[in-house]
Amino acid sequence: MSSPTPDTKPSLRDWWRPDVHNERRSLTLCAMAAVLGLTIAGAGLFSARGTRIAGVPPEDVAVVNQSPIALSDFDAQLRALYNVSPSQATPAQKRAVLDGMIREELYVQRGVELGLQNDFIEVRTALVSAVESQQDIDANATVPTEQELRDFYQRNIVRYLPEGEMTLTDYIAPDLASAQRAVLAARSGGGAAAAMAAAGLKSSGATDDGDEFYFATALHLGPQLFAVAKRLHNGEVSDPIPVGGRIHVLIMQKNQPPVAAVYADARDRVLADYRADKIARLRVGTDRFLRDRADVQIAKAFQ
Amino acid sequence: MFLQADIDRMLSDPQVAPNVIAKGRRVFLAWCASCHGADGRGSTATGAPNLTDQDFLYGSGRASEIEQIVLHGIRAGDDKGWDLAWMPAFGQAVPYVREPLPSLSPAEIDQLTSYVRAMNGAAGEAPAAVSAGHDLFVNRAGCWDCHGRDAQGDPSIGAPNLTDGIWLRGDGSRRDISRVIREGLHGVSPAFRGRLDAVSIRSVAVYVASLHAPKEAR
Repeated sequence: MSSPTPDTKPSLRDWWRPDVHNERRSLTLCAMAAVLGLTIAGAGLFSARGTRIAGVPPEDVAVVNQSPIALSDFDAQLRALYNVSPSQATPAQKRAVLDGMIREELYVQRGVELGLQNDFIEVRTALVSAVESQQDIDANATVPTEQELRDFYQRNIVRYLPEGEMTLTDYIAPDLASAQRAVLAARSGGGAAAAMAAAGLKSSGATDDGDEFYFATALHLGPQLFAVAKRLHNGEVSDPIPVGGRIHVLIMQKNQPPVAAVYADARDRVLADYRADKIARLRVGTDRFLRDRADVQIAKAFQ
Repeated sequence: MFLQADIDRMLSDPQVAPNVIAKGRRVFLAWCASCHGADGRGSTATGAPNLTDQDFLYGSGRASEIEQIVLHGIRAGDDKGWDLAWMPAFGQAVPYVREPLPSLSPAEIDQLTSYVRAMNGAAGEAPAAVSAGHDLFVNRAGCWDCHGRDAQGDPSIGAPNLTDGIWLRGDGSRRDISRVIREGLHGVSPAFRGRLDAVSIRSVAVYVASLHAPKEAR
């Protein structure tokens, strides 16, 4: 094996021989590799298909521009449209469902390209809702410990107060003196209803339907009278109450204030509230994160 | 090919079922047992459904239906999940946020309770209260809209059958039925899409289906 001397130009026959030093060959091969690389990159760049994955993942039925169409969605669609399982579906049914889903995916992607989220209120609402839903999904998958739930219940026990109930009659007096006479008579041991009638008081009819939840009584009486009613005990007669130009007297038959549900009875609501609180916190956090990373410019007139 | 196969046929395939059920049980114990219990029998104290009986709140108990619930949940915030109706809280000023429904008085809730109990064979309910409860059920309270005029429920929206003596919350006592009518009910089943892999989701769905499957399908 001979090696060329530095001042000797290698013959064409020696050009490919790896044991023969040849700078021109090295440069030529480098240039060819560079051209090939640029060609591949250019083809990838301008074909607009992006980088393709090698195949469709097993949990998907197709991949459209890198967006998977889930097999579970395909199955659900097949059942919804034809009421058949995948093994019962005909090839034509499968093809029709798949074509429809691919078309939908292509149109969604095209919609994003066109920026339709800027134009359609429904799309914007759906996008906001979808982002919020992601937080809901995370929060709803939370499984707090029993102790965490008990602590939450104790901190928020007022939430587990049911509505109180009351049965009362709202009387209207012709004047203040009649009302005072009726109240005195009722409190002195005579029958309250008879005392009211004797003094010329009549039921307003606002609460004559019997037992009511607190919220219903509050609606029927208004806040001022309800505030008085809440403080009355069973059988108690109120003082005359002037409201809106009329004199009222309330007679309480039954007042059952709310008593907080014990933890065991309220547990499912405690869990729901625990998750709802978590969702609310996540939303606040997300709002802050999005604002922090955003470049929001507000016109001077609106600052 | 596991994910490409028909999930509804897995339970009846002796080659597939044992392995899938074994894996599904592991997933169930890790992710589902905290609510439904290790035996899948749920809890009437918390309103977590019993998964071992033939009483299906949603759908008909097929593995494919369960797979969709595991994926997308019930009232879990996932748009593909179940969230078509809630049991209104008739003892509140606004019983239902999605559509206007009237609040009921305590006496009316008692009448509805009597009607529901009478449908389940409870003795001692006053006929007048039962009749008034029925009237509320099919008219003003609008219960029929979800539960059906025959009160046998609607598995396409998760409305329970109120005539079969199977209770989601409580034991069918006057106190428990009355409480559900007053306070409402809208349980949540989480969506595990993105949290569990597709094989685990499919396996646990098959496992849950096996809990209530007729013996010949096991």
